[in-house]
Amino acid sequence: MEKSGEAAVKLLFPLSVFGVDISITSAVVVVWVTCFFIFALSFLASRKMTPVPGKLQNIIEMIYEFFEQQTSDLLGEYAVRWLPFIFSIFCFVLVSNLLGMVPGVYPTTSNINVTASLAVFVFVVYQMAGIAEHGFIAYFRSYVPKGVPIFIAPVLFVIEFVGHLARPFSLAIRLFANVTAGHLVAVTILSLIFIFKSPWLAPFPLLGKVAISIFEIFIAFIQAYLFAYLSALYIGLAVNEE
Amino acid sequence: MGALTYLSAALVLGLVGSAAAFSISQIGAKSVESMARQPESAANIRVSMIIAIAFVESIALYALVVSFMLLAK
Repeated sequence: MEKSGEAAVKLLFPLSVFGVDISITSAVVVVWVTCFFIFALSFLASRKMTPVPGKLQNIIEMIYEFFEQQTSDLLGEYAVRWLPFIFSIFCFVLVSNLLGMVPGVYPTTSNINVTASLAVFVFVVYQMAGIAEHGFIAYFRSYVPKGVPIFIAPVLFVIEFVGHLARPFSLAIRLFANVTAGHLVAVTILSLIFIFKSPWLAPFPLLGKVAISIFEIFIAFIQAYLFAYLSALYIGLAVNEE
Repeated sequence: MGALTYLSAALVLGLVGSAAAFSISQIGAKSVESMARQPESAANIRVSMIIAIAFVESIALYALVVSFMLLAK
């Protein structure tokens, strides 16, 4: 699985704290570059804000306003509080996906560790948000719909609980599998060159690779949007439950 | 690795792929139908169509992951 992208993970600086392996690998460096890229872009866009936005500010504002509208549909009055979180998730996933498209750069979102950490983070955040909003007992009581007979309620609670536990899994595996599969398809199409063994047929797999790459960029946007949208949906369900 | 592993890996992807293809065809057909019926809400329908297709596609990709795990054993 690790070799599916164009670049494999290389160990740069072995490091371990209390027996936990936190070595600096090339994937970690790519994550840092992603964060730096987002920071630099937002800093440049918001450094000199003008009433009539410039090019960069205009693009960022367009994406931001799109998300503002989406989150206010899902979260209602809580939109202002949660918009920064959701927008950061969107930016991180989008920039990771797009950086992974650069040849030679390790696609961090094709690593299950990255997507699983993001998904578990979202899971913890939305459970905490629900508990903070309603209190511990009331939040878990809201798992069971009102007016359910008392002998069915435990069964419903268990079903709902398992459903909640499945959410981070589906979030993580969706992003991971989409990015991994995209890179695998690209590698498979390129390897057709070595199967054909003819210079006259080589341009056709290259054209296929270009087409797949365009589709991949589209997928990168869709998956980043879906991840952020589902996070917003989960937070909205948790905080708005009566 | 036995022949059954290869067979099951292929079957996982084949069965889920056909199911996902059917679902995507349903989504596409219904949304084109609704767009033709109400052209003014075509933009909204297109966005929800793409989101629904992405959900179905991710289910197909779960099967891809499972079949790769079977082959990588």
